Amino acid sequence: MNEQSPFDSAPDEQLGAALREALPAPFGGAFVNRVQARLRQQRPRSWDEELAGWFWQGLLASSLVAVMAGWGLKAFGRSDEVETAASASVASQLLDGATPGANVLLASMSSADTP
Amino acid sequence: MTGVDEAELASRAGRGDADAFGELVEKHQAMARRVAYAILEDREDADDAAQEGFLSAWRAIARYDPSKAFRPWLMQIVVNAARDLRRRRRVRAADPLDSVSAASRDNPAREAGDIDLGERLRAALATLPERQRLAVVLFDAEGYAQAEIAALLGIPEGTVKSDVFHGRRALRRVLSTVKEEWDE
Repeated sequence: MNEQSPFDSAPDEQLGAALREALPAPFGGAFVNRVQARLRQQRPRSWDEELAGWFWQGLLASSLVAVMAGWGLKAFGRSDEVETAASASVASQLLDGATPGANVLLASMSSADTP
Repeated sequence: MTGVDEAELASRAGRGDADAFGELVEKHQAMARRVAYAILEDREDADDAAQEGFLSAWRAIARYDPSKAFRPWLMQIVVNAARDLRRRRRVRAADPLDSVSAASRDNPAREAGDIDLGERLRAALATLPERQRLAVVLFDAEGYAQAEIAALLGIPEGTVKSDVFHGRRALRRVLSTVKEEWDE
């Protein structure tokens, strides 16, 4: 330790040890645990964790698709039925040799307009 | 742990290995907290800054060049985190750190009284400008080369030498005073 040599390039061991003692860094284990807990929060998620994170959104979306598909099929099936029924009524009345009534003709025309 | 081990750990951490980075945290936590304390002069603030420094380093680890030393790279981030925290503290509060340090600056010896060497050294450190504190802590306590400190603090090497000299002078005075008291 020599105050007269200002530019000595060697660390002062005695002062260094005293400083390390004086500057507090206690409970190293607790500090490391704290940092590691924060690191886990920031860690990029693996593919299975990523999938698990999307589970509820995926379930909701697939349920909506299923409901809409069901509704669509049902609506399509019903218009098909009406058209078939109307055609069958006109055809059966013509085959019977009877003149179809106005209600039967209107029903068959309206079902023909339906896309 | 050798430099090669450290480079290997940093390289694994760069590929997303959190356990490897955890080992680096364990190895450098004491140094990071001491350096942050030299800037902030408060243990809890120093721990917050050191933690923020480690988290920033984790976020930036992919950009770390393994051909260079890891320790100065990490310490640069910790120093920045500590300075950033100090700035935010100053904005948020009416600078409690300065009020704590002011008493020490007035008369560190009288404030120290009969208290132990550690407290006297901390009081003496508080009388130094931040750059001198950092220079002497990094050089004497943490074993950084003067060139490394110059790069880390963004100042010329000659300034580091001068800061270390002036910082040491104040601290050695405390050491010798305490030694004299112990000898009596």
